[in-house]
Amino acid sequence: VLLLAAALPSEQGSWRVAAAGQKPSSGARLFAIAPHQKGKVQEEPVLSVQNKQAQHFDWALNKLDSSVRRTGRITRTLLLRIFHDMCRTGYPSSNQALLLLRSCGSLLPEVPLCERTELAHMIWGKLQDLGAVYDASHYNALLKVYLQNEHKFSPTEFLSKMEEANVQPNRVTYQRLIAAYCNEGDIEGASKILGFMKMKELPITEAVFSSLVTGHARTGDMENAENIFSVMRDAGIEPGPDTYLALLNAYAEKGDINSVKQILEKIEKMEGYLMDRDLLQVIYSLAKAGYPQYVPDILSQMRYERGYIPDAMNLSLNLITQGLEDTAFQVFKSFPTLPSENHSETSMDYGNFFLQHCVHMDKPLSKLKQFCDELKEANMHSSPLQFTLYCALESKKAALAINLMKTMKEEGLPLRPHYSWPLLVGYQKEKNVQGTIGVLKAMHELGVEPDVETYTNYVLTNFDDIQTFRALLQENGCPFETEGLSVAALRHEAIYGTLENITELLYKDGRYCQTPPGPAEAVGYFLYNLIDSMSDSEVQAKEEHLRQYFHQLKKMVPFHFLLHNNTEVSALEEELEKLKAEKQPIGNVLKQLIVALCAEENMQKALEVKAKYEPDMVVGGYAALINLCCRHDNVEDAMNLKEEVFRKDSSVALDTNKYLALVKVLGKHGRLEDAINILKEIKEKDIPIKDTTVTSFFHILNAAAMRGEVETVNRLHESILTLGLAKPSTNLCTPLITVHLEKDDVPSALEATIDCYKKYGKMPRLHDILCRLIEQGNTELLQKAMDFVSQERGEMMMLYDIFFAFLNTGKYKEAKKIIETPGLRARPGSLQWFAEKCIATNQMETLENMVEMTQKLFECDRDEMYYYLLKLCKISNDWRKAEATWTKMQEENVIPRARTLRLLADTLKNNGQEVPFDVPEVIYVNALYMPLQCNVTSQLFFFILIVEAYNILLEAQKKDIMFPASAYSTLIKALLAEGCLEEALKVKNIAETHIKGFTLNDAASSLLIITQVRRDYLKDAISTLKKVLESDMVPMSLAVIRLIQALAMKGDLESICTVEKMVENLATSIGLSRMLFVNNTVLAHIKKPATDLFLQYVDAGRVDDARFLLQVIIYQERNSSGQKIKTLLDLVPDFPDMKIVYSYLLKSLDNDVVSAKTLFEKMKSENIHTDEIFLKRLAVLLKNAGEPVPFTEPPESFHFYVNKLTQERQEISSHAE
Amino acid sequence: MAATRGSSRRVFELFVSQIHWTLATKELRDYFAQFGTVRKCTLPFDKETGFHKGFCWIGFSSEEGLRNALQKESHILDGIKLQVQQQKRRSFRSQYTNEGETDMS
Repeated sequence: VLLLAAALPSEQGSWRVAAAGQKPSSGARLFAIAPHQKGKVQEEPVLSVQNKQAQHFDWALNKLDSSVRRTGRITRTLLLRIFHDMCRTGYPSSNQALLLLRSCGSLLPEVPLCERTELAHMIWGKLQDLGAVYDASHYNALLKVYLQNEHKFSPTEFLSKMEEANVQPNRVTYQRLIAAYCNEGDIEGASKILGFMKMKELPITEAVFSSLVTGHARTGDMENAENIFSVMRDAGIEPGPDTYLALLNAYAEKGDINSVKQILEKIEKMEGYLMDRDLLQVIYSLAKAGYPQYVPDILSQMRYERGYIPDAMNLSLNLITQGLEDTAFQVFKSFPTLPSENHSETSMDYGNFFLQHCVHMDKPLSKLKQFCDELKEANMHSSPLQFTLYCALESKKAALAINLMKTMKEEGLPLRPHYSWPLLVGYQKEKNVQGTIGVLKAMHELGVEPDVETYTNYVLTNFDDIQTFRALLQENGCPFETEGLSVAALRHEAIYGTLENITELLYKDGRYCQTPPGPAEAVGYFLYNLIDSMSDSEVQAKEEHLRQYFHQLKKMVPFHFLLHNNTEVSALEEELEKLKAEKQPIGNVLKQLIVALCAEENMQKALEVKAKYEPDMVVGGYAALINLCCRHDNVEDAMNLKEEVFRKDSSVALDTNKYLALVKVLGKHGRLEDAINILKEIKEKDIPIKDTTVTSFFHILNAAAMRGEVETVNRLHESILTLGLAKPSTNLCTPLITVHLEKDDVPSALEATIDCYKKYGKMPRLHDILCRLIEQGNTELLQKAMDFVSQERGEMMMLYDIFFAFLNTGKYKEAKKIIETPGLRARPGSLQWFAEKCIATNQMETLENMVEMTQKLFECDRDEMYYYLLKLCKISNDWRKAEATWTKMQEENVIPRARTLRLLADTLKNNGQEVPFDVPEVIYVNALYMPLQCNVTSQLFFFILIVEAYNILLEAQKKDIMFPASAYSTLIKALLAEGCLEEALKVKNIAETHIKGFTLNDAASSLLIITQVRRDYLKDAISTLKKVLESDMVPMSLAVIRLIQALAMKGDLESICTVEKMVENLATSIGLSRMLFVNNTVLAHIKKPATDLFLQYVDAGRVDDARFLLQVIIYQERNSSGQKIKTLLDLVPDFPDMKIVYSYLLKSLDNDVVSAKTLFEKMKSENIHTDEIFLKRLAVLLKNAGEPVPFTEPPESFHFYVNKLTQERQEISSHAE
Repeated sequence: MAATRGSSRRVFELFVSQIHWTLATKELRDYFAQFGTVRKCTLPFDKETGFHKGFCWIGFSSEEGLRNALQKESHILDGIKLQVQQQKRRSFRSQYTNEGETDMS
């Protein structure tokens, strides 16, 4: 059937067929295992595990088989992967165990012999622990592995182990034990086993005789070895290829090539036939015994049958593994090569496998070089040294790689900086600074100077600061002032080192502060993002840096942000008086004073201050004051203030909350028309309506309802809906009914809810109405209500409604009758609603009754019902009730889910009671919540919990335990919050495969976007955003902001555009400023973060820094500086003094005449005044370049004009003082 | 800003695959420069392994460069044949723009 089968012992026939035949019975065995696994495993998971196992077995077999088919071998990695997969799926079957064990022998030519056996033992033990049951086939497989791996062991011990395990050895066992004895030349031992076989009347096969040939040969007795042939014939068995092969190997081990040749000739004469594979064995024996000189004699006998190459390859690999690489090379060179037709065009390279394995096996450089030379000479490989280097790099063998590069250099082969990257990547991951420096040093000695990419991507990230790194380079004798390093260092600074500068920018540049919340918010955002984007270890590592940063921040933030609430009223008053006396503008301080007074809830004083300084009042002050009056129920002043501010500026709009406060206070004081007018104003002025606004509407309406003001409730509700300020919802409709119930007017309440249903399709508070009607015994109206519900929502809903109403009013008999209505089936949603209501209101008796009454209800999830009950037991800490519930469950034969058991166990444990069952280990993931705080310790703590939860989930998944969708979402969010993208995606996949239609919610999706951005997977982030929008979810604005900012840093204008279009309709509702796109589009043009700095420097008057920066940029971009200048100018169009910018530009142009001329032309076209210094500088530049000067050059020296300007400036500044 | 969006930003791109590991951006750029001005050479590197992924995009600043390169029957660099084709789907490459790009435009 398969090569794999062929490679395996044939004694047991086609084992694949046997395996397939075993499938049903393995299922039966599983059932036997399941009970003692954990005790209370439900049937379903076991069945699905079983099913999975069968599938997995086929998959693993195919995987291994295709590997054997293609290459004649299995790699250790593949074997281990399948092994780990098997372990993960839970209960490994016997078949799977057999499959793995059988793969631990000669199918692993790349693995040293002893390691193969160790692997077999490890698999044996682990699978046994996991419940695999071993029979004779497993023991036999293990024996075969021992033999193939030349593993020395005691056959008697092996037998007694089998006996202990109560496994009967069979013929195959004995045959293999004989072979084991014979391999050691122990004829006596072999005879003993032979005795057992005879005793058990087991037939003696050719395999036994072959072993005996080997056995006698290994005692040195070739005569007796030869004699076995006649013994065989006497016993009626004709010696076959196996026996001849045993004899051939025996002579080969003696180095008796003549006998080998004679036997081969003899076989040929007998028209017998040995396969290439057999001859390869003889080669192996020759090599191992130290007679490589005879290998060519055997190689010449090969027939190159199909499958020769994989077999020979495996022999070659095996020989390399065992330190016989020279013979391995001989074997390799014997490969028949296919004549390559297009040899001239692309050279076919042979021997990669050989070189690679030599590298893996740490063969010395000299050997490798020798092989490479030979391959090259024989035209078998075009670039063997490069390939060997590749292997060394891939397997991170740094020393070898560097030595190979030396060799390459000696041979005149080019060395390139990126050859060091695979090594550097490794050190980067390990944070191995010495390793990194070592590679750089070696490269330097090889004459390869690292380029910018090398430093940026693989080196600098390893160092906290560049000075340390430079010092280390210097210490190690590496150049530390190369161009590559300087540019990389600048890049690095721009990316990682400009926290302070960015914050400064956020503060000082008005364009960044235009988003409504202002700069304080922007800094807060930035801080949140910053700390959020750092891992715990980073936070700890950069603690000092952050501390300094915070300190700096404190200095920078205008005092009123930080001291907002602490500003003393008196201090402000003084300030105000002082300003007033000085006839200076007081608007700002006045506002601060009003705000401070409002914070102190000092309405009287605030109003007085306002009256006193009325002409100087600004909108912000009014708004605060209006709000204060509303809070203090001072509707008159509130309205007066509002009118006053509107008189000053009719376009003024208050914010949503202040309008709502007005509506509330007006409603409360019966000024219904005014309240409705405010609602209209909200509409007219297009005040943003948020979810919280709608909640506020409800509270306003509900407050009116509680006061029993029917008209107020109805008219406000109507206005809100007709103005389109909110959509009709059950919640918003509720006050319409509440208002009647509060007045105990149940008929009107019923009318109202019927009316509500007709108008808005909602039926609020029906349950309460029904309960009241039952309590009042108003059967007539009750009938009316039921008819209505029945007609509108169906009989089933009606029955549930009335069932719950009877339950709630303690009319259990009636309730029971209703729920026993024939044909009624469980409605999990309704039952849950009522159960949660009972839990929330602590109605134990009601809940108990519901649980009991629904016992016979069709399709009722009993565990779920008891779970509700236990939930309430836990909340009320009633362990007795909990225990009784447990007993009831047993009585009812309910199989509890794990979560139910845990709930029960918790309640018992909390009350010091013993738990009478095995508590499932899984901790409920819901207990976790997303850490939002930046506190390092707590974050670390949550991180540990999250890792725990993640492991639990993986564990649970193996056992087919499912969690509710919310648990997955919570965990995904938590993982994302910790930046564990891969893990989160894995959980997402699990959830998607387990829960139909599982989607991430808004928050989790947003976090996913943020994390993807952080990982630089921008394309993925965009597609996540797309999915979010497509599924009508609303992303967090932070997610969009992050994405846009990241795109800007990449200069990806196109994607910024795409994202802008995607969120177009959402932008205002989630508070995305248009400036976000404008600013980032500008930044995207520049791409280099250094320009940020430039702007700031110019802004902050740090001329030298700005100039230096420009020089660096222009130096970097010297080929296209004209373009760069243009871009820079595009960036700063609003800069107050263009003259300054231009002069900096000119200064920084160095001797770039072309750019300078462009600049001058641009200035002329824009009518920008060129001062004397500028003209002088330009003139000098042009003259030096031998160009004509197209204007009158200022006559004095350059320094003259510089001094002149300095003087002028001093004069200006002294005037200002 | 608007000006930079004009035709001058159009790039004429080649998709090159089967690139030997010994070659990096510089070698490719130098090689393709014989056909026209190479505006960009994007050779994504795998940050896990430190090796590139075996393919890259070469952007010429003119259509002529692109045509010249495509006219050459086979491209052999360091003795190894490169697979060269015209880049058609632009969206395909954007996912790699962040890696190992050297864009001097």
